[in-house]
Amino acid sequence: MKNNKLCKDRAGARTVAERGNVKKLHQEIEQRKNTERVAQDALNYAESIINTVRESLIALDQDLRVVSVSRSFYDVFKVKPEETVGQLIYDLGNKQWNIPKLRELLETILPQKTTFDNYEVEHDFTTIGRRIMLLNARQIERVLGKERIILLAIEDITERKEIEAGLEKTRKELEVIKKSADEVSEFAESIINTVREPLISLDQDLRVVSVSRSFYEFFKVKPEETVGQLIYDLGNKQWNIPKLRELLETILPQKTTFDNYEVEHDFTTIGRRIMLLNARQIERGAGKERIILLAIEDITERREIEKGLEKAHEDLQELAAELKRTTRAKSEFLANMSHELRTPLNSINGFSEILYDETFGPLNEKQKKYVTYVLTSGKHLLLLINQILDMSKVEAGKMKLALSSLPIKSILNDISLLVADMVSKKKLQMLLEIDEDLPNIEADELKVKEILYNLLSNAVKFTPEGGKIGMKAKKSDSEIEIEVWDTGAGIASENMNKIFEGFFRVDTPYSRVTEGTGLGLPLSKKLVELHGGKFSVVSDGLNKGTQVRFTLPVISRKAV
Amino acid sequence: MKKRALIIDDNENNLMLEKDLLEVAGFEVFVAQDASSGIAVARKEKPDIIIMDIRLPDMRGSEAAVILRRDKETSDIPIVFVTASVMAEGREEIKDIANSGFVGKPINTRTFVAEISKFIKG
Repeated sequence: MKNNKLCKDRAGARTVAERGNVKKLHQEIEQRKNTERVAQDALNYAESIINTVRESLIALDQDLRVVSVSRSFYDVFKVKPEETVGQLIYDLGNKQWNIPKLRELLETILPQKTTFDNYEVEHDFTTIGRRIMLLNARQIERVLGKERIILLAIEDITERKEIEAGLEKTRKELEVIKKSADEVSEFAESIINTVREPLISLDQDLRVVSVSRSFYEFFKVKPEETVGQLIYDLGNKQWNIPKLRELLETILPQKTTFDNYEVEHDFTTIGRRIMLLNARQIERGAGKERIILLAIEDITERREIEKGLEKAHEDLQELAAELKRTTRAKSEFLANMSHELRTPLNSINGFSEILYDETFGPLNEKQKKYVTYVLTSGKHLLLLINQILDMSKVEAGKMKLALSSLPIKSILNDISLLVADMVSKKKLQMLLEIDEDLPNIEADELKVKEILYNLLSNAVKFTPEGGKIGMKAKKSDSEIEIEVWDTGAGIASENMNKIFEGFFRVDTPYSRVTEGTGLGLPLSKKLVELHGGKFSVVSDGLNKGTQVRFTLPVISRKAV
Repeated sequence: MKKRALIIDDNENNLMLEKDLLEVAGFEVFVAQDASSGIAVARKEKPDIIIMDIRLPDMRGSEAAVILRRDKETSDIPIVFVTASVMAEGREEIKDIANSGFVGKPINTRTFVAEISKFIKG
């Protein structure tokens, strides 16, 4: 712009000079003097402009030698006046100005066009480093001896370029940020639409900004009835919930966030619901308003399930208590039953015994046989009653052990003698392997005898004539191990689990159903366990014999 | 001299069975079917032993025993309870009664008299 102004001044000077040439000589001289003065003034003026402007200016003659240079030129390009004026521009500052683009400009373009604007040149100066310059040049005629003058304005736009580049970079970054902001908001939007949980975002006036798909589905509202509405007005004012108002208007402004706020409400469309509300109040970027994000979780079903669980738990506890009562009642019932059955049994067994013993006179053979049947059945019934009672006592935890120090070795021998009669009747062979060094054990004598008798009589019962039964006993650590074995009926593997259930008996050709009660084995197991011992039954299968093994601790582990 | 026994039992069959067994063994036997009449007989006859059921129509055998023990006339007579209560609770109520014992039901006819006789002094 300053160049243009300068050009106009020069043009004006030239016109005055030409006009002067066609006037009279005197006039011409006068005018010439005048003109020279004017021109000198103009030159002075121009030079003062040159020295005033901040922009570096350089004036060259037609041979491209420096005529005049602005102060700012010296400052910017770190050259001194004595090294400059009269020099070829290319030689300036140690030939720093030997710039191909400048040469092209000055030697090719300018002579044809006489002017050029904003010619950008980048050059690496040794003194001041890489610079970007905007060159503006005018080729003008001059009066003072020199034919033509080239005025070259050099604007250092390095900083400006840098700023521009920075601006561009910033703009690009901004674009990226904006893009990613868009992406983020798109991402957020897609989250809102993806989550199963109904989500709603509100502006600061509690008007709906956006709503998740699930919200529409869940609360049976339509988008056109929703966005822009006050939340309380949604779905026919269904959302006008006092607790929600409190939350949004009172709590949220203070806390900016709340979690798991439980609200129960009766919606006209979907009925009574229990909801868990989570909310965040978030800023939406500089200067913008705030929005409230409200997540609504319907926990109605969960609550129902929880209630159901609680109820089930209560029911279960009731049931457990009921079961306890029932067990006690069962145990009491069995005790009573056993009591009531004993009284008639007392007569049956008592009188048949008196008859059998012929206390009041002899019986004939048939009478004797029949009274034997009555007596046998009566005793069997008594055994059943006793064992049922014992089972129920053990099950009710009421079976008490009367512990004493038992000479187990002699007890084993005693019991074997007790069954010796049955053994010889069936022509069985009984083998005893009882270690000599068996210690006394702490146990209930009657119970131990009952166990041993049950097992030995089972062995006899389930072993065919001519077979073998036996008993082994040895000490092992802090307990004694006893095994009662036979070569008899055995137990099929499929029946292994049933033998402890009670009343299970294997029908065999050599055991009549009336014999035994089916309670001997399970009761024995329970009595062993009551003593703190282990009880197991092993059989290789049907007709392969049975081994019943059990342990009894030498010192009772039960504090009775 | 014949031993004298009093049987108190509301069940006629039991009464008859025990009476038979004791008579066969040479006892003189008195019977009663409830506690009050049994106590009356005991005062009157002063038997060598009283055999008593625990469940009687008018009171518990244990209550009758307390009455018998309080009476100077009968306080020394041994009492044998014949009971079907084999549960520990059944025995609890008679354990504090002095000079008493019990025989479980059903009785063993072959050992009954011997079991009873153990309680008779002298």
